[in-house]
Amino acid sequence: MLNETKLSAYIAEFNGVSLRYETGPEVLKDIQFTLEPGSFHFMTGESGAGKSSLLRMLYLDLLPSRGRVRLFGHAVDALSRSAKAKLRRQIGVVFQDFRLLDHLSAFDNVALPLRIAGVKENEIRRHVSEMLAWVGLEKQMKTLPPQLSGGEKQRVAIARSVINRPRILLADEPTGNVDDAMAKRLLHLFLELNKLGTTVVIATHNQPLIKHFGFPQLHLDHGRLQLIQPTNKYADMASKLFKRGDNNG
Amino acid sequence: MAKKSDIPFSTDPSRLFLPWISMLMIFIATLTLAGGLSAYKALSYWNKSVSASITVQIPIVDDKGKPRGEEVQNDIEKALTILRTNPGILGAKVLEETQMRRLMTPWLGEHADIKALPLPHVIDVTVDTINPPNIEELNTELIQFVPLAVLDSHRVWLDTLITIAGGLMKLTIIILALLLITTAFTVSYSAKTSLSMHKHVIALVHMMGANDSYIAWQYAIRILKLTLLGGLSGLVLALPIIFGVGYFFETIAGDFKCKIDALMLIILISTPFAFALLAFISTLKTVSTALKRMI
Repeated sequence: MLNETKLSAYIAEFNGVSLRYETGPEVLKDIQFTLEPGSFHFMTGESGAGKSSLLRMLYLDLLPSRGRVRLFGHAVDALSRSAKAKLRRQIGVVFQDFRLLDHLSAFDNVALPLRIAGVKENEIRRHVSEMLAWVGLEKQMKTLPPQLSGGEKQRVAIARSVINRPRILLADEPTGNVDDAMAKRLLHLFLELNKLGTTVVIATHNQPLIKHFGFPQLHLDHGRLQLIQPTNKYADMASKLFKRGDNNG
Repeated sequence: MAKKSDIPFSTDPSRLFLPWISMLMIFIATLTLAGGLSAYKALSYWNKSVSASITVQIPIVDDKGKPRGEEVQNDIEKALTILRTNPGILGAKVLEETQMRRLMTPWLGEHADIKALPLPHVIDVTVDTINPPNIEELNTELIQFVPLAVLDSHRVWLDTLITIAGGLMKLTIIILALLLITTAFTVSYSAKTSLSMHKHVIALVHMMGANDSYIAWQYAIRILKLTLLGGLSGLVLALPIIFGVGYFFETIAGDFKCKIDALMLIILISTPFAFALLAFISTLKTVSTALKRMI
């Protein structure tokens, strides 16, 4: 299935997508948008607006009730289970509640996507050590998640989501459990990844952060999607941030 | 850094009960198997030894109990000629008085006057076990020329033994089948319980791109380890009993010829591995099927 010719240049393409859970009302209605490679979007909206459902569709946890979703050029409803599994390996997800495995050390949590992908252990050791050092957790490699602080857990979760260089990174309220300073640090981390070519979608309520970084918003209101482009002021800020990142890099 | 399983199996109740159940299963299975195999071995031995010899009796009195005189010697000569010319018979000889006395000693004692008894003459016939004679045809030919001759192939009591041993073999197979089915159900139940307990972890691993076989393999390896641990313990407990019973039959009842040989030992030692393999395959199948329904 994955060997099909890529028909789309988009990372994700939603065309007239609606979603309902069983016989309930539609939680997403006629969603239409595309994500280009290397783009950066915030996903906003009130609680219950459908942000989590849209993210779940993006990481192939849900299929649309109506309409068509294409991911990396593949129509998701036509994919086999094993083909979906292969696509999921190209998606990084950061959950608000981290979803770390408490019985595994920080190292093993971060190593998990690589082990699933069948990477050799010596390579895993090298990559994971580098990644944990990058997020400032080289001394906590053997620590179990219950012994980590909220911020440390968040960084382990982020390290795990990006360890296999995903083509798209989806984050659900990644700054919900950290203070403003840490939130900005994390956002800079996502920017670094974005500079390397990863498409980023961050679901958040944090308006100051959205304004500070000034990226376009996928705004959900009662299940309907609206694309909000940043004002010039914020767009300029985002542009400066990129430039500053480039210079620093 | 050692690789741990992605699924937190240490919290599973199967960690405790599965090794104990496997131990019990293998303990019963190896004892049953040893019994069945011993019965089969003893039966084969009896079959072979009994088939190798038949006897022909020439009575010294007629139907009314009247002595037959010189007719007896003629009948013996005719019977020996028939027997010795049969291609399936290697030799035939009349048992001497001392041999007859030895045969009768358990019933009549050492000093009994066997000449005073109307005991028939007995011809001991050695059969070619590779190309044995057709007993029915041989009997017909004998009766044609020696109407009072009685051919005894020991089939009557051997058939009874075959029936008993056959029953034992069937019982062994039934018990083993029941144990195998129980093992398959137990591991399947255990895997399903664990899947239900760890559904959030499985959903997470699945979301990261794990396919069904990646998850099923971890379950199967886990169950393999637990069933092997229990199974080998069951084997260790059963072997002394098997050897003890085998020693008893060899020393007290040597005719049973059911001592555990190398092949039987290999089969018995293979039992826990065969059960563990079955558990492994059942788990792979159960988990793969369950995952398709779950996620």
